[in-house]
Amino acid sequence: MAAELTREWSDEQLKSDDLPKKDIIKFIQDNSAHSFLAEHKLMGNIKNVAKTAKKEQLIIAYNDLFESKRFLGSEPIEDVTEHVKNVKIDDKPKEVVEVVDEGPPKFFKSVLKKGDKTNFPKKGDNVSCWYTGSLEDGTVFDTNIPATARKKKQSKPLSFKVGLGRVIRGWDEGILTMSKGETAKLEIEPEWAYGKKGLPDSKIPPNAKLIFEVELVAVD
Amino acid sequence: MQAIQDDNYTTEDYDVFQIAGRTCIEDGESAQVLSIVVDEENKNIVRCMGWNLLGPLVQILLKKEEKNLPHCLAILTHLLEVCSPKELLVGLLEQVEEAHPDSIAETVILLLQPLQKVLLRLGGRKASSVGMALSTLLGQVARLPVPQTKEQEEDDVFSLCRCCSALLVFVRPFVEEAKQSGTPTPKEDELRTELLKFCMKSLCEPLLEVQLKDPETLAESPLRNFATEILGILSDIGESLPELLCHGLLRRREVPGFLEEEVCYPKESLASLAYLLFVQHIAMDTFPTVFSSVFVLQCNMEYINLFLSRTEESRLQKGLDLYEKSLVRLEDNSLPVQLMELKSFFSVPQNLVKVMTLCPIQHLRTKALKVLQLSINKFDTEAKYKFFQCMLKTSHHAGVEGYIIKNIKNQIDFALKPEKGNEWFMGVHLLPLLRQVLCLPQGPETDLLQNLDRVMESLNLLRYLLIRDKEWKNQTGIWTELYKIEERFMKPLRMGLNMSKAHYEAELQNTKDNSKKTNAKESQTQESVCSLTVGNEKMPNMTPEMQLQVLHSALHTFDMIESVLARIEEIIEVKEKP
Repeated sequence: MAAELTREWSDEQLKSDDLPKKDIIKFIQDNSAHSFLAEHKLMGNIKNVAKTAKKEQLIIAYNDLFESKRFLGSEPIEDVTEHVKNVKIDDKPKEVVEVVDEGPPKFFKSVLKKGDKTNFPKKGDNVSCWYTGSLEDGTVFDTNIPATARKKKQSKPLSFKVGLGRVIRGWDEGILTMSKGETAKLEIEPEWAYGKKGLPDSKIPPNAKLIFEVELVAVD
Repeated sequence: MQAIQDDNYTTEDYDVFQIAGRTCIEDGESAQVLSIVVDEENKNIVRCMGWNLLGPLVQILLKKEEKNLPHCLAILTHLLEVCSPKELLVGLLEQVEEAHPDSIAETVILLLQPLQKVLLRLGGRKASSVGMALSTLLGQVARLPVPQTKEQEEDDVFSLCRCCSALLVFVRPFVEEAKQSGTPTPKEDELRTELLKFCMKSLCEPLLEVQLKDPETLAESPLRNFATEILGILSDIGESLPELLCHGLLRRREVPGFLEEEVCYPKESLASLAYLLFVQHIAMDTFPTVFSSVFVLQCNMEYINLFLSRTEESRLQKGLDLYEKSLVRLEDNSLPVQLMELKSFFSVPQNLVKVMTLCPIQHLRTKALKVLQLSINKFDTEAKYKFFQCMLKTSHHAGVEGYIIKNIKNQIDFALKPEKGNEWFMGVHLLPLLRQVLCLPQGPETDLLQNLDRVMESLNLLRYLLIRDKEWKNQTGIWTELYKIEERFMKPLRMGLNMSKAHYEAELQNTKDNSKKTNAKESQTQESVCSLTVGNEKMPNMTPEMQLQVLHSALHTFDMIESVLARIEEIIEVKEKP
């Protein structure tokens, strides 16, 4: 249990221009409960919060904190992350969610089938993949997997050198996180796919988020 | 003709058989020849010599006279079954090669099925023979005129479409054979190589000459079908379209030797492939939708360069279209400066400039300019900067330079907008670029008329900078640079203007005096031809009226330049007043 905190700043001091927003935010972040921060929208990088939050808001939050006494450690352990909640001990691992963080995430990977976790491609390696690509509405716009229903047309997995900008960025970044044998679902924001233009005269409209199911068959 | 039973045939026997056979066929006695040919007793001689009858048979069949057809066809069928495939092949291909120019299409169409039959009899040894046959056939088909309009394709007067469609049917069983999945055997590999060569050749002739019509214009297009099938065959024999396209960029490991490379993957064919894929969208649904648009552009640059290095309208049009289609996939300001280091990113603009300035076809010049601007828009800021520098150094054409200078002005304008500043079109880097722009290439002796476009745009830029960039801000550095600009640009320009005006005014006076003299003479037989020298070049002979026009126009141009220069001097004077 956290000891009761004392107010460092008076109302006068809070309103003054001499007290930067960042200081108030830091104090609140360091000393309040997770849920308090969430309610007051004060989570995250201090710089970013300072950009979005007004001084008045912060003053209100500061005062609220002392009134409600929702200091850090004062609430039951509800800070369990989604990640931990979802881990299941199964034979058949289903959706293990990995959020790839690089600033604002531009793609999102879910592993559908684990790979050997040993052979990860490096930049410049040749990789081979089976894949199916669809739009958000489910329309399949491309695949290289031989259709099982029809007469089998000769097809090979797609081969290319990864990490060199030859494919859309979502693929380059995504495949580098996969190991040989892995099948993953890559949900790629337009910025790392075909962006504002999409593919003129083709199946990809502007600002399209693309969803690929990729099986990494071979590495080099 | 008597039945001969022996196996030991002499040369005379052969001659007799051949001459007799040929004569009979030509005389219309094909029924008789048929009965002899199928006679068991003559089995051996027919087997050895039968192929000699191909020539006359084909000639008769081409004539299409009803009475002979069934027998001749029967003879042909029989020969195809019993004679040596290799000899039959030689005989048939000879007929194709020697076809009369007017009957190329008919001959090809007639002989495709026989050839196919013969080749299929060759079994595992067929690869090189298939290659030879395809090469000969294509060679002849390439001589047929290519339909250009939708109506021409529908009418198919010269039967190119029929031949192409027939060729596809011909080649189908070989493709199926080469297509067996898994790792190909050496035999299959050989066959694939021959089919690859066939596809590559088709991509050039006839496909490079063809203007494919889209499905809205022409629903059923044999030529579009042909193109689609050829690309399909490439996939069937294991050639991935992306790998083919990037062929220039990537080295294919398996193909040995340089010559083999050129034969199997000729650049012109690959260029044709790129055009079909990206401009006509042929087989585009089989091209993986994962490659980045920048990479696609990189791959295509070589082919664009190839097209733009030619002078034929069709090639230039294809180059411009391919470049345009590759560029529109990109977002503005997205191409990084590193690309400028690639050779093709230098050659292509040079070729564009050539088209813009030298091509006699108006719509191509216009399009080239449009595509040039489109490419500029796609470069990022640093790349634009380097590109402008390069163009100013290498284009040697006042119109192009003027156009680039206008672009520079636009970039500066953009950079001066709030929060849009960049290091390239402001401050430190801008000055070297400005020095390149704000100068007279030959000092006061610069030919102002020839360099008009450049001079005017430079003056416009200078005027713009002096008005837009406040001297207390001096974001572009123009104010600190001003005294140098006055020395290197404005003073020589003022001098050049004065000299030019004086010269032209003198010429004007001369011309007026001359024409007065001529009028006074009142000589009807004498042509009023005067000689006029402008800038050390003798102008072509003109009438006095035309000359006066030219001179007045020149003087007007100088006035125009001077007015902008004067305005600039005014602005400077006002700003420099305390």
